[in-house]
Order: sequence, then C-alpha cells, then structure tokens
Amino acid sequence: MTWHPVASSADLTYRTTYHAQISGRELVAWRADDDAVNLWENRCLHRGSRLTLGINDGAELMCRYHGWRYANRTAGCTYIPAHPADAPARSVCNRTYPVAERYGLVWGSVEPQDSGQAGPPAVDLLEAGAPTPLRPIVVNAPPAKVADALAGYRFQPSAAVTQHPGAAADWRSYRSPVGEWDVATVERDDLRVTLRAADGDDETHVVLWVQPVDAHRSVIRGVLDARPPAPSRLAVLRHHNHLLSRLRDRVEEQAALEPMPEPIQVEIVPVTVELSGMPELGAGRRAPLRVRVARKWSAAADVAGFELEPVGSPLPGFQAGAHIDVHLPNGLVRQYSLTNGPGESDCYRIGVKLEPESSGGSVCLHETVREGDVLAISEPRNNFTLSRASERTVLLAGGIGITPLLSMAQTLRQSGLAFEMHVFVRDRRFLPFGELVSSCGDSVVEHLGLSPQRTTEEIGRILGEHTLSAQLYVCGPAPMIEATSGIADELGWPEESVHFEYFANPNEIDDSTAFDVALARSGLTLRVESAQTVLEALRAHDIDMPSSCEQGACGTCLASVLEGEILHQDVYLSRSERAAGDRMLTCVSRATSDRLVLDL
Amino acid sequence: MIKLYNYELSANCYKQRLFLSILGLDYEAVTIEFFPGMEHKSEAFLEINPLGHIPVLDDDGFMVRDAHAILIYLAARYDPSGRWYPTSDPELLAKTAQWLLFCEGTTSTASAARLHDSLHYDFDIDAVRAGAHRLFRVADEHLWFAEQEGYDWLVPTDHPTIADLALFPDVILSEEGGVSRQDYPALHRWTDRVKRIDGFTPMPGVFFAAPARA
Repeated sequence: MTWHPVASSADLTYRTTYHAQISGRELVAWRADDDAVNLWENRCLHRGSRLTLGINDGAELMCRYHGWRYANRTAGCTYIPAHPADAPARSVCNRTYPVAERYGLVWGSVEPQDSGQAGPPAVDLLEAGAPTPLRPIVVNAPPAKVADALAGYRFQPSAAVTQHPGAAADWRSYRSPVGEWDVATVERDDLRVTLRAADGDDETHVVLWVQPVDAHRSVIRGVLDARPPAPSRLAVLRHHNHLLSRLRDRVEEQAALEPMPEPIQVEIVPVTVELSGMPELGAGRRAPLRVRVARKWSAAADVAGFELEPVGSPLPGFQAGAHIDVHLPNGLVRQYSLTNGPGESDCYRIGVKLEPESSGGSVCLHETVREGDVLAISEPRNNFTLSRASERTVLLAGGIGITPLLSMAQTLRQSGLAFEMHVFVRDRRFLPFGELVSSCGDSVVEHLGLSPQRTTEEIGRILGEHTLSAQLYVCGPAPMIEATSGIADELGWPEESVHFEYFANPNEIDDSTAFDVALARSGLTLRVESAQTVLEALRAHDIDMPSSCEQGACGTCLASVLEGEILHQDVYLSRSERAAGDRMLTCVSRATSDRLVLDL
Repeated sequence: MIKLYNYELSANCYKQRLFLSILGLDYEAVTIEFFPGMEHKSEAFLEINPLGHIPVLDDDGFMVRDAHAILIYLAARYDPSGRWYPTSDPELLAKTAQWLLFCEGTTSTASAARLHDSLHYDFDIDAVRAGAHRLFRVADEHLWFAEQEGYDWLVPTDHPTIADLALFPDVILSEEGGVSRQDYPALHRWTDRVKRIDGFTPMPGVFFAAPARA
C-alpha cells in the first residue's frame, strides 16, 4: 500500500471540509471534534454529490443536497431525512480510505488495504526535531516530472535565511543565488526527494514529497527537519515558497510544451442495492406519524428531553400514562412515555435516559438525533391507565420512571383530585424534568440517595394499610417494581389497585419449545418453531397484530387464549391475569401444551 | 430608505446584499431583470446608470453605482466603528483599496467565466478561467501567509474589511464558471471565515458554514 500526503494537518481546521485527491480519485478529508481525521470517497451515496460541499458538524458530515449524515470514523449513514421511519441498513456506509497524520501532514492511500506498508513512510530525519511543513505548492504537471525537478531544488539552510528574496534592498540586481548554494541529494525515491543544504556549520534537511493528484497535476509537500528559529520562521517559509514557486513555474512551462496526458479515470464502485436499500418494516409496528424535534434539552444529568412537534397533520390525543414508539435512525424502535399534561396537544414531550450499556436506542437519541430532525413515531398507546375515581392516589417513581407519572400528576392536579407523588432518585441532578416536578406542588415528595433497603422501608411507610379504593401507580427499574408489588401485597393492597409499568422485561426468555397455534377466527393452524415467537409466526402468515416493545413489557400484542396452557414470560400481566390463563402476550409468551387456540 | 437595484444571481449585487445584511440595514431591493430581459440595458435603466451596470444604490436620492464604490459608501456612512473601511489608518486603508482593485480582476475573470457558463455571455472562456486561476493562486498564497502571521482577513487587521466582502462572491461562486477551488485550501478556509461573520447572508449557490467554535 502506497501512502501519499494529501494535506497539511493545519488544513483540516475546525469543522471544515477539505478536498483531497490521489491519482484522480477525489476524497473528502475532515477532522471531527474528537480529533479523528476522516478520508472518504468524495461522494454522497445518495445522489453522488460531493461531500466536500457538505457540513462538518464535529461528529458527522452532512451532505448538502438531501441531508444524509455520515458518522465520524465509520462513515456509516446515520440519518436520512426523507425516511425517518426507515433506518439506513447498518451497512450503508461510505467508502473510507486509510488515513494517518505524520510530520504535520495528512496521509492517505487509495490502494487495497491488505498490501504493503501499514502506515505512512517513516523518515528518520524527521523523527528527532519538530518537523515543519512548508506551504504546499500545486503544480500543473505530471508527478514524475515534478519529482525529477525537485532533485535539482536548491535552497539555504534555515539559519542562513534572514529575509525573503523578494524584499531584497537591491532588488534590481537580485538573482536567486541557487548556483552558489551547497545542496546535496540525500535520498531519492519515486515521488520523494530528501535534500540537505549546508552553509558552514549550518545544515537543514528538507524532505519533499510529490502528491500525485492526477496525470497532470501534483502538489509539492515539503517538510523541514526542524522548526526554524522564531524571528526568521516566516522568512524561511517565504524562502521555500518563493523558490518552489519559481521551480513550479519552470516545470509548468516545460509541461505546457508536451502533450497533456488524459486525466486518470477512476472507478467509483456503487453501493449494492442490498446495502443501500431500506429494511422492511414489520407489519403491526407501524410509525404513521412524523414529528420534528422542536427542542432538545438536558432534562437531568443523564436525561435528554425532546419536544416533538407535528409535521403535517395534528397529533392524536392521548391520556395520561400513554407511550409512543419512536423509530430511530439506527433501526431500533423504543418506547417512551409522554410527559404532557392535559390539553398540551401541540407537541409530545418525552424524556430519554442515557444507557450507554444498552443496545443503542438512548445513545442514538442522545448523540445522533438533534433539533430539526424528523422522526417517525407510532400513535400513542396506553397500557397504564389512570383511574380518577379513587379516594387516594399514590404515584411512585424511580428515576426516569417518573415520565408517565408526571403526565398523571398534571392530570390529577388540573382536575383538582388529591394525589401523592414520591420520586426516588440518586440526587437532585438526576431528577428528570425538575421544573415540571416542582410545578406539581406540595403533593410531590423527593427521596434522595436512599439505599435499596431504605427505599423498601420508605415505600412500606408511604403505602400503609390499603384504604378503600386507594390506587397505586409505580414506574421505575424492575427491582423497585417487584419490591413494591411485594410490599403492597403484604399490606393488603388488592392486586387490581396496584398498577405498574416496566421499562423493560428483566426475565430471560425461554424460546426453546415448538408448538401449534390454532387461530379460531381465521381458521388457520400455524407451527411456532423454537427460537420463533408467536408474534413472528403470525406475521409470517400475514396476520396483522399490533406490537410495540416486543419484549413483554408494554402489553400491546395481547391476544385472548381459548384453549391450551400458557407459559407466561411477560412482566405486563398481573398474577391473577396470568392465573386466569385466558390472555397472553404473543411477543414473549409460549405454550406448555402442544397446542394453543387463540381468538384471532 | 435605501434602494438597491439588484439581480439575485449577480455576484456584484451579492456584495452589497452581504454588507447591508452584516450592517443590519433595511433596504428595498428593486429587481432588474438582468437575464434574459437585459433590463439593465433598457432605456429606462440607462437613465439611472448610463453604463448599464448593476448594482446601483439609491440612498434617499443619493445615487452611487459600481459594486466597490457602493461598499465604500455604505462603510463610510453606516459603519460607526470605521473598521470595515479603515480610513483612519493609512496603511490599512491602502491595503483595503489594493484588494478592492484586485477584485476588479476577479470580477472580470472568475465572475466573467460564470456569466459565460450560466448566462451565455460571449467571453474567451479559457482566457478568463486561466486569469481567475492566476489571481486565486495569488490570493491563496497571500492568505496562507496571513494565517501564519495570525491574520484571518485579506488586510492585516483583526477585523474583516469591505475587501473581504468584495472578493468573497467572486470566489465562492467560481465553480459555476468552471473554476475549481480545489487547489486553494487557504482561500477555502477564508471563505469559511467570511461565512461566519455575524449577519452573513447566503444566495443561490452559496451556503452557510458550520457554526464557529462556541
């Protein structure tokens, strides 16, 4: 693999793009805010626009034409504005080229990565001091001719340069005294010349590379072996700029006398249809609504708030406790509860806790999605409904679990109904939507930094004995919900008075069994194989079934069971609902009998 | 009220719109149908400018023509800081004038190539493109050394001048005339800096840069 210099490191300034080229192949070079340098094909995968015209936002490069965004380092496409519901297939990726910085230059290679040198050439002379790049000089001439001419380059050692020649006092008699300067060729490669200039004890090495831009275009990229002393630094840079420019003029004059070679034709490998195509969306997990991120803000130390405004038609109404599916640009689908109060129908508000260890839904929302982006979402669904006919309403929130409860609290407050809301968080910085919480008034009690043991004791104290028609709503991490259910049970709270919503199903799902499912209404019998869910089997036979979380937490894919024994694996149904054996969540639950009959 | 006789696609008119926007001045743009109507050569418009050129500025009855003269007028009248056209410093003033005159060259080369390619003007296209490259080479070298000396702008001071605004449209639209800027990275970085001036406004074919470092 041959490496060529394509830019000076200093060319890749803050959030700019740089148009590089090696042997006819156009490249875009850009530096991200984490200092990583990217060298890609200078084409957007969509319509072939030059990415050098795009916007470097520090983490992604956005094509100017239709807004496709490509991630730093991987060049993976992260967002396609016209298809917010269709995640770019993970493999939609621009072509990247090996890139490295060395000696103040940016290096790249356009050859196959498995051959030859793993990095840019190492030059002993440049390893010691502070190598200093010269101003690059573009030459309209074939690279080999430029390299030949450079072998005859003559200059002074840095210490001998006092002022640049153009400013000589006796300008009329000025001639570059190149003939008198003692310069020796130390080394000569194809496109590299190393020269040493000496004047008494003063000695300067310069390594000159020729960047082969095209058949008839080159850039001279020189590096001095040491930083010239401060007072003459500019004079030295001008010295070389002046002499290399004159050398360029001579080479260009010569080259103009010869027939101009044809530009190098490079093949731009198109992305295959499979890679550039959009993945099919499963039936039943539709995202009919389009919303724009009107505002994104920090709602707590690790929580981003998103305000989603409608694009086109107004947003459907919903009730406290509802959630939406958000289809993310990385292909994941996630559920988030709406925090809106009653009557706030012009936008949806959600809170997203950053979970760096999870499969990437929250990371995508935190890092990729930004204000102005369009997202595809489902209509709101409510599996966590609020009863308003109770004498006592207790809302128990753990961390980000506060989101559906905030919607409930505002509803109760506006209806003039009494409630108590208890929020358990590590400390105030981690309290999501702090202002909104405060606005819920005296009914809110914050419990900060309690251990699990103390949390359990506190919950027991809060609940007390069950009183007539008291209702408990709890949302938080699974251990907190489980502990609360246990305590409520001990204190005599009937199961139907305890409402909970899990973020996720903590159970390990057993999908080893195989069984038949008969559909009473459709008159069909399906085989559910091991490692396949009932839901998947239904969809494979074009039976439409809504779903959302697809992990047994949200309750959307509930089906009535007419016959057969159910292996419940969800966290949605209550104990008595499970025991009744007449309903199941088709996304995780299975049969223990050979056959199930569903009312579908 | 300031009135600008204007054509949306004209690089020379863009210089005025840029500066008016940066100065935050309200103005009325009177569209002169340059192409295909050739309204700037109409009998009526020749009464306004006998040379038959746009832009022309009418500031409450005071009329001034020629892009760079209008920039001078706007700076002298509406920039109380005196930095856009630094009349109080002879050296900076001279350098500003020097680069303004340089822009007469880019207008008659880079911008002429654009008129040839997009509006069918009859120019020796190879000659005007070669002329543009010659000037861009000079500007790129100048700006590279300006950066080395710690300056962001054409004139060595810590604030842009009208010379930057006079050069910017000829440079940023050059690819519409087949003049690539690939060989002029220092010039490219300078266009990013111009785009980050407060009050910067784009035009068809010119886009905003990523925001400056906060």
